[in-house]
Amino acid sequence: MIRLAGVRFSYTGAAVLDGADLEVRPGEGVALLGANGAGKTTLLRLCMALLHPDAGTVEVAGRATTRLAPEDLAGEVGYLFQRPEDQLVRSTVREEVAFGPELLGWERARIIEAVPRILDVLQLAGDAERHPYDLPLPRRRLVALASVLVTEPRVLLLDEPTALLDRAARALVARIVRARAAAGVAVLAVTHDPVFAIEALHRAVALHDGRVAADAPVSELLGRGVAGLTLPPHVRAAHAAGIRGVSDRMEDLAEALVGRVGTAGG
Amino acid sequence: MSAVELSRITFRYPAADHDVLREVSLTAEARQVTWLFGPLGAGASTLLLVAAGLAPGLTGGTLAGEVKVWGHRISTREGRAALQGRVAYVTATPHLQLSGMASSVFDEVAFAPANLGWPRERIEAAVPGALARLGISHLADRAPDRLSGGELQRVVLAAMLVLEPVAWFLDEPTSALDGEGRALVRALLAAEAARGAAVLLATEDAELGLAVAHEMVLLTEGSAVARGAPDDLLGTELMWAIGAGSTGVAELARLAALRGPVRHPRLRPPYPLTFEAAVERWR
Repeated sequence: MIRLAGVRFSYTGAAVLDGADLEVRPGEGVALLGANGAGKTTLLRLCMALLHPDAGTVEVAGRATTRLAPEDLAGEVGYLFQRPEDQLVRSTVREEVAFGPELLGWERARIIEAVPRILDVLQLAGDAERHPYDLPLPRRRLVALASVLVTEPRVLLLDEPTALLDRAARALVARIVRARAAAGVAVLAVTHDPVFAIEALHRAVALHDGRVAADAPVSELLGRGVAGLTLPPHVRAAHAAGIRGVSDRMEDLAEALVGRVGTAGG
Repeated sequence: MSAVELSRITFRYPAADHDVLREVSLTAEARQVTWLFGPLGAGASTLLLVAAGLAPGLTGGTLAGEVKVWGHRISTREGRAALQGRVAYVTATPHLQLSGMASSVFDEVAFAPANLGWPRERIEAAVPGALARLGISHLADRAPDRLSGGELQRVVLAAMLVLEPVAWFLDEPTSALDGEGRALVRALLAAEAARGAAVLLATEDAELGLAVAHEMVLLTEGSAVARGAPDDLLGTELMWAIGAGSTGVAELARLAALRGPVRHPRLRPPYPLTFEAAVERWR
């Protein structure tokens, strides 16, 4: 789980965060929304102990980050950087994904079992022997995500996990993140992708003026409009046509749409 | 003459075992936004690098075929000299596009004009306008390496806009932008086309493409497989056949059509693409 209380942080000069409070429970997926420069990535870095607050406390996976370095959280907390090139270091995709487990001292048999499995999940099996930097940037992002997921961290910190991805890959990442949350992982994802937020996550919080200015279910917050984001057109269209699904996820809306058109005649 | 003419482009990266572009020919007209769309690995990013004269020059690799931008062969020294400072390329990774030489956002945006020898008065007159168009006037004195991903993307766009380019080559220019930033870029692309530039845009954001593009070119596995008006193509099954997909509205409409017990007329393709069209169909 993740808990920030009264967090203040500044690089130099004005505070980026000032009085930020946030809690993400196990099994909960939270979208971190906000305008460019609102401090979203900074908040994520504080959760990974890449930065430390000037005031207030950050607790992740049950530990205060005060005296921790990122490596102290490895294995328990997974961090997907905004730029995948910041986190790829090995010369094949397979080695790259095995790197985290190796550092954690996993036994070889366990690594040999886990790596192909996560490559399969991310549809990267065919790229296992390729150099990560020979892959197009969007695929490199998936490699970075695989290397984050392979150790099955209890907390996931994701910075723009769907940026640059195509439709199929966005849907894949949404499915995976949703499944991890359902399995009890606490997920905090910085995103500008309202469809991803709706498909994969439960709650959304909006950063503004250095603090959490709004906290609500994803659809409700997007419905109010935040940082120029709104409910995506397909959700608004469904609502305007009187179609309400169990949720605003694409599958639920499609189900409701079939029901409505099926009964309404041609 | 088309503003951008790519003829039978075949390209292979160094050490790669296959061509990422295979005999692609396409044109992009002045005053139009031409949208490159396809699934991951289709070759849109590489095509933009080739069109902008950056591949193979910067990337290495082998290129066959010919690229002309406003009649100049961009692969030649003479062609590049003729186009110097008039071609805008925007990468999907803005932090890699910074000059690394500027200590402020203002200087970053002034960097190319200064290198082109613009007089100081012209630079000082042009830069604030470009910053304002991208909504980053307040960042003028900030250090570029202290900006967020979305702020950087705006800076890179401003640094190109200031040049008043005759051709734009943009690779996912909104990938890190917030909603307001996306709206700004949408308006910017339309305005640049209206000013007379040829705009070639690769984006996975089908809503953006539909909103700004006059023409779309569908790419898959390094080949251009279809070209037409976004309105005509995006609602057809071809989009899914090549794995590209479409707008969220079309995705939802198709998902419902695939689940429907019968091929109900209101669920059949072509699928609605926009909020308005969907409400009309589904009400």
